[in-house]
Amino acid sequence: MKRQLYLTGVLALCAWTLVPIYFLALGALGGRDLVNTFPKPFWPGSASFTTIRDFLAIDGVAAATLVSVETACLTMLFALLLGLPAGYALARFSFPGSGLFRLLILLTRAFPVAILALPLTVGFIRLGLYDTPLGVSLLHTALALPFAVLVSSSLFQAVPRELEEAAWVFGCSKFEAARRVVLPLALPGIAAIAIFAFVISWNEVFAGAVLTVRHRTLTAYLLTVLSESPLHVQFAGGFVLILPTIAFIYAVRKHLFAMWGISNR
Amino acid sequence: MKARLAALVLAALPWAAPLAHAEDLVFLSTQLRPVEEAQKMRDAILKPSPVPTTYVADVPQVVPTRLAAERQGNTHTISVVGALHGEIQPLVATNDLAPLDTLAAQLSGRGIPPALMELGKLGTAHQMYIPWMQATYIMVANKQALPYLPKGADLNALTFAQLNEWSKAVQAATGKRMLGFPAGPQGLMHRFFEGFLYPSYTGGVVRTFRSPDAEAMWTEFAGLWKSVNPNSASYNFMQEPLLAGDVWIGFDHVARMLDALRQKPNDFVAFPAPSGPKGRGYMPVLAGLAIPNGAPDMKGATALIDYLSQPATQIKMAQTAGFFPVVAATLPDDLEPGLKLAVGAIAKTQASSDARPSLLPIGLGTQGGAFDKIYLDSFQRIVLRNEPVRATLDRQAESLRKIMTETGAPCWQPDAPSTGACPVE
Repeated sequence: MKRQLYLTGVLALCAWTLVPIYFLALGALGGRDLVNTFPKPFWPGSASFTTIRDFLAIDGVAAATLVSVETACLTMLFALLLGLPAGYALARFSFPGSGLFRLLILLTRAFPVAILALPLTVGFIRLGLYDTPLGVSLLHTALALPFAVLVSSSLFQAVPRELEEAAWVFGCSKFEAARRVVLPLALPGIAAIAIFAFVISWNEVFAGAVLTVRHRTLTAYLLTVLSESPLHVQFAGGFVLILPTIAFIYAVRKHLFAMWGISNR
Repeated sequence: MKARLAALVLAALPWAAPLAHAEDLVFLSTQLRPVEEAQKMRDAILKPSPVPTTYVADVPQVVPTRLAAERQGNTHTISVVGALHGEIQPLVATNDLAPLDTLAAQLSGRGIPPALMELGKLGTAHQMYIPWMQATYIMVANKQALPYLPKGADLNALTFAQLNEWSKAVQAATGKRMLGFPAGPQGLMHRFFEGFLYPSYTGGVVRTFRSPDAEAMWTEFAGLWKSVNPNSASYNFMQEPLLAGDVWIGFDHVARMLDALRQKPNDFVAFPAPSGPKGRGYMPVLAGLAIPNGAPDMKGATALIDYLSQPATQIKMAQTAGFFPVVAATLPDDLEPGLKLAVGAIAKTQASSDARPSLLPIGLGTQGGAFDKIYLDSFQRIVLRNEPVRATLDRQAESLRKIMTETGAPCWQPDAPSTGACPVE
């Protein structure tokens, strides 16, 4: 009985993630006609990659993909470089106003980017960051940072202080102890932060569209126009857009599972 | 791993720059945004152009922000802007557009109708944009609906009364409400009221807003709505419900139904929008080309506009994108079947004996959205919420009067000309 319940749960969870992806793939591979038929066949009669190939052959998709990867990687890098030390400080040192600081960090997400669009763009033009992946990634970092700081602070809190103190006893400097003892223990969580930063940057449309002209990120390049395209193209686009995220999560899955391990301990 | 990643990123950095053609002219367009159409624009139209061009498609809301930012930051990247008449209008108020009088004189031999050129002045003394291409709204019906057409009705000279009878007959036969309108959040329903329903029933848009004719019109339209698919409130583009068979008879912008006609030209027919007691109101849609002040490549921009308004280019635009020439040009006979249906319906609309062309609102500036809202609000109150017609119209007329006096916009076709702000009678 218990085992049955367990199996049903596993199946339901698998279906929860796999069914939408399956329908997306079905729409992307089935071509124009299948998209409008209902109920849909389980297996498309004539699966073909034509739609996806046509989609990828669109001018600028390759260049935009490169910009997107670059922006997402930079965002990930900045979010980790700035977020981890801040999280460590919040976890290990108590200073007056640390509670307020946590709240203020969240406030950066309270301002809608759409309102800031004009002043931001003007500022970026003056700084020479307009239309560069670096500029877009800076804004994406600002969006990803609250999560990075708060999650990494609770992550570092979960690493027992005694381990760090033991390292000091054995002659590590504070920095060395953090790097050689705390960081490896927090690695799974850090992987999650990295994924989150990557995904935020990959999915963000508005900044990517307003701050760039020639060097669009893939999402900005396609998503603004994708919603107005014929359905089968939308499916192909959606399918192509989720693939990198799935691949990335697959690549770091080991670290993610380890994180659940920590939380269960 | 992090070090490797960083190295990868650093290695990629110098890569991105040479991929885009930095010296190309940037053509920012709010039209032909869907990926397939943008691709056709790049391949078929812009590749053979004499000016190397980077085509950037963007949503209309972003364009004023971008131009304002570039003006304030004093760095200009955009040389040509292609947008609808109503989308270019706000750019004049912020002084973001360069006057194109010389270019207009240079293109005078192309046969662009004077009325369209006049619209391109946007109420100023100078030519602010050059008309680029036009379209209108049509009706498309699934052939399965044709047997239910009322006796003696001519599809190409349909009246609103006949449309009502027709959709009721379809409803009786299928048990479903099969008439569809694009009343979704991104739909163009307001244009149906401003350009089709009001002109057809009252012969005006602003002057006749609360006339007895308008009262009768709303009552009749509320009756018609009883056979409209309730999902219409979420339809933005009619091509999808038409293709899916959820709707058999639909009204929308030709570009938003073209996909249905193209995919299944044998399943659909296209025809003009219905006529009312005062004629067959229809709204031509006009897109124009403008050059921003401080454009980095002024010479290239004028050359590109010149190229885009050549008859041969305009014919190619019609074949690839479903927008129609503004210059004197005859379309070839061997058009693809779906496009042929659309062209036929547009031609029949323009040529119909009772045609009553209704222009897009002129001179409203930034109040254009508020103007549309008056008509949409009236629709919601009267048709969707069953509020009394007379009282609603009177109340909405107050708001409309306020917009007209604030902007001081004189009447435009189909309303009779006015001295000063267009009155709500």
